[in-house]
Amino acid sequence: MGLFQRLANFLGVRKKDVNVLVVGLNNSGKTTVVNSFKSEDDRITDIVPTVGFNVERFQNQNLAFTAFDMSGHGRYRDLWEHYYKNCHGIIFVIDSSDRLRLVVVKEELDLMLQHPDICQKKLPILFFANKMDCKEALSSVKIAAALGLDKIMDKPWHISASNALSGEGLQEGVEWLTQQIREMLSVKS
Amino acid sequence: MSAFKRDKKEEEDGGGLPFQNIEKSAVLQEARIFNEASVNPRKSTAVLTKLLYMLNQGERLSPKEATDVFFAMTKLFQSRDLVLRRLVYMGIKELSTMAEDVIIVTSSLTKDMTGKEDMYRAGAIRALCSITEAGMLPSIERYMKQAIVDRSPAVSSAALISAMHMTWFAAEGVKRWVNEAQEAVLSDNIMVQYHALGLLYRIRRADRLAVSKLVARLTRLSLKSPYAVCMLIRIAAQLIEEEGADSGSPHFQYIEACFRHKSEMVVYEAARAVVNLERTTSRELAQAVSVLQLFCGAPKATLRFAAVRTLNQVAIAHPAAVTACNLDLENLITDSNRSIATLAITTLLKTGAESSVDRLMKQIATFVSEISDEFKVVVVQAIRALALKFPRKHSSLMNFLSAMLRDEGGLEYKASIADTIITIIEDNPEAKETGLAHLCEFIEDCEHTSLAVRILNLLGKEGPRTKQPSRYIRFIYNRVLLECPSIRAAAVSAMAQFGASCPDLLPNIQVLLARCQMDSDDEVRDRATYYSHILARQDTSLYNRYILDTLQVSIAGLERALREYLDGEGARPFDMLAVPVAPPPQAAELDAKPRAALAKPPPTREDNFAERLSALPELQALGPLFSSSEPVELTESETEYVVRCVKHSYARHLVLQFDCLNTLNDQLLEDVRVQVEPGEGYSVAAVLPCPSLPYNESGSAYVVLQFPEDLPSSVATFGALLKFVVKDCDPATGLPDVEEGYNDEYMLEDLEVTLGDQIRKLGKANWGAAWEEAEGLFSEMEDTYALTSMTSLEEAVTNIVKFLGLLPAERSDKVPKGKTTHTLLLAGVFRGGVDVLVRAKLALADGVTMQLTVRSQDEGVAELITSAVG
Repeated sequence: MGLFQRLANFLGVRKKDVNVLVVGLNNSGKTTVVNSFKSEDDRITDIVPTVGFNVERFQNQNLAFTAFDMSGHGRYRDLWEHYYKNCHGIIFVIDSSDRLRLVVVKEELDLMLQHPDICQKKLPILFFANKMDCKEALSSVKIAAALGLDKIMDKPWHISASNALSGEGLQEGVEWLTQQIREMLSVKS
Repeated sequence: MSAFKRDKKEEEDGGGLPFQNIEKSAVLQEARIFNEASVNPRKSTAVLTKLLYMLNQGERLSPKEATDVFFAMTKLFQSRDLVLRRLVYMGIKELSTMAEDVIIVTSSLTKDMTGKEDMYRAGAIRALCSITEAGMLPSIERYMKQAIVDRSPAVSSAALISAMHMTWFAAEGVKRWVNEAQEAVLSDNIMVQYHALGLLYRIRRADRLAVSKLVARLTRLSLKSPYAVCMLIRIAAQLIEEEGADSGSPHFQYIEACFRHKSEMVVYEAARAVVNLERTTSRELAQAVSVLQLFCGAPKATLRFAAVRTLNQVAIAHPAAVTACNLDLENLITDSNRSIATLAITTLLKTGAESSVDRLMKQIATFVSEISDEFKVVVVQAIRALALKFPRKHSSLMNFLSAMLRDEGGLEYKASIADTIITIIEDNPEAKETGLAHLCEFIEDCEHTSLAVRILNLLGKEGPRTKQPSRYIRFIYNRVLLECPSIRAAAVSAMAQFGASCPDLLPNIQVLLARCQMDSDDEVRDRATYYSHILARQDTSLYNRYILDTLQVSIAGLERALREYLDGEGARPFDMLAVPVAPPPQAAELDAKPRAALAKPPPTREDNFAERLSALPELQALGPLFSSSEPVELTESETEYVVRCVKHSYARHLVLQFDCLNTLNDQLLEDVRVQVEPGEGYSVAAVLPCPSLPYNESGSAYVVLQFPEDLPSSVATFGALLKFVVKDCDPATGLPDVEEGYNDEYMLEDLEVTLGDQIRKLGKANWGAAWEEAEGLFSEMEDTYALTSMTSLEEAVTNIVKFLGLLPAERSDKVPKGKTTHTLLLAGVFRGGVDVLVRAKLALADGVTMQLTVRSQDEGVAELITSAVG
């Protein structure tokens, strides 16, 4: 490690690398959420269903995020677990206008929380109740109730209503996540 | 760190390769660093390189291991290191066949292949295509189409080649990219153009009209890339062959125009295409050969090699044209490149005059030890051609071959020499003695068991008929003393043949065989005891049957029959006649595939049929299958129902197997049966219908007939009618629409039962002895015929052999050139196990006159054969 880097580390100004996992059902807007975190120049204009996963990077308050944007398609949900290890936080995107599949969301969430790589750790989970601009969208409170989030005792979680197309609500959520991860890292070190 | 230390120590131990002693488990362990939160590109690169090296060395990973390491590797996508990313692409390609869920990287790769970083794009395309299955094709189609027409040549080429690979499993999907590929053909880059043409051809390959259009369009375009032009020439040449077009065709004119192309590669390709065409006139040929002639004097060794190699390959087909280059080829004999020199000499040998043979042989001898086995085989083949062309030169050629035999060389090389000597011996009776002598000398010091066995077998067959058989005995007996068991056994068999054929040597042979009975090997002892007992009987008919005639059953059939016999109670003695016969392979086949003799023979048709027929309970009572005919087409090949018939004869019955194919996709046929109008004397014993025949499947219906009592009427013509119940059905599902079908019938062509169907071929090694033996015992019929439609003896011989279905003995089917008389000797068995021997004396006058003498155990059979010929 170079002298400069060591110095920067000491002063706490060096950016820390953190990995977050972006999961959720298909068509909930994961790729769009991640896309709007990126700087204006890097954004892609047309977003197609993800097959497998994408790796994206963005920054927030001295943290360099590497986001594993997973495919939400039913066929590929089994593959999420390969990336549970070594992640510092989870962003769970929910389509709040899709009432019908809310039970599926709950099922996938419970499955994830029970996974041995997740349940041991005190990972912060950020929920985006996405597509809040839709007419039939449920409020974030209702979604939290429907998913039984209040029963998650061992992990910090936060839910924020969002609109990934306009970027509304995203910043608030990611700031909470940054805060949590920072605390977690400082506790560790 | 410890790994590093170990590496260092090994380096001191003598260096060697950096990855010499890597272990699978260690590498997989190290690959865990891929999982770390922040990737270390330097370390990861090293580990990934090790992994790739290991996979390329042939190490196999279990699906679990492969999947684990694959998913760990996918995490390296977070690094932006250029080298690492490209290694990841390679890793994906390597692991794509072993790991599961490789589809996970699809989006990451499509992002890379459409991204801004050009270094990523080509590799990402190749990796993407290696993980894509036919079902996933639509999801990447858009990106592939874009990549094919990309302005970067590397990207475009990568997409085109990947598309070509994908045609193997997703031809239909790739077809939709034709428009993009056509655009890429117009590219300025030579490689892109070549690859685009390759893809277009691959897509259209099955459709000749489309290929023809493609060639016509591109020939007008004047392609920039010499590679593409070469490929176009090959496609055009293939089209000319398939269409049977002549020199006036536009394709041909295009090839001709390429003679004036500025690239040497294209000019050579055009010349090669022309000389390899089957129908070329001498004018076009001369043009092509003159191009090659020019290349013979080129300063580049590759051009000289290409030219002389092509000339060598076509020397037999077009000797006159190649002779024109003789002077240039003479110059190449002294070429410093030995491969060129060898090819030049062998070409000259193929085309040269008799007078120059000795000189060329001497020239070859000077450097034959310096060239590789592969080229030595070329030399040997040239010598074989030469020996057939100039039989008088056999002594010098034979000397040369024997000298080559004594040199070091692999099995293939030695076998080709032995083959050549055997061919010369068979073709040229004068060369027999010297040839055998050389072979005897060769087996004295031969390390290849299979060759030694073959030569001993040949000595046993040919030796007794030479002037002085006794001289070979010593060579053969030496083998018994010195060699391994399989050679000893072959030697014992060879000696027994001498004993059987030369009565004056018999006492000596008996002494030698008695010694062999003490051998340490079972097989050798058994053979020696067996032969010595038979020889002690002093009965020529026993000799003929058990020593000189080899076993002519198919080995697989014999094995099956013996197993069945052992499974049964063994109440009946084993019947040798029940085993299907395999006719000895013809000389022409042996020439075509000399290797086949060493390989295991595939089960014969007869074996397959016997197995299928014995599965039907109705047919089991008929006894063993005697013979099966070639399939006969009873319909045109393009009709609604395709029916072929195979005639199986049993001792008293004839089974007709009708193989039917339903080509209508909206019909289901049920209860398919064939109604035959049997000839006089035949009676139908049973009809076995085929219960159901769906679209595009074939099924078999059988008719069992009893042969008539009086033999002449067994040769007859039957009318045949296909009867069935039709059920209309849905083409998509193949399920019938209605419960009840309706009856329908379909007229078939008439079916002939010939003499040949009732006879099976039998080889007689010593036909003359069998003929004499048969004189008193068998009944004899004789008749004379005028075969007016035949114009040559060869034609007559081929037709007689085909008509009678008998096997020519003692190579009497080969008519020596320039003779006007010939004697054809045939042998076979009529159904029911009646031996038949036929001698046909042919004379050529106006047409062919034939005197046919038939000897058979059964008078009726002899009469049938004489009457059938008339």
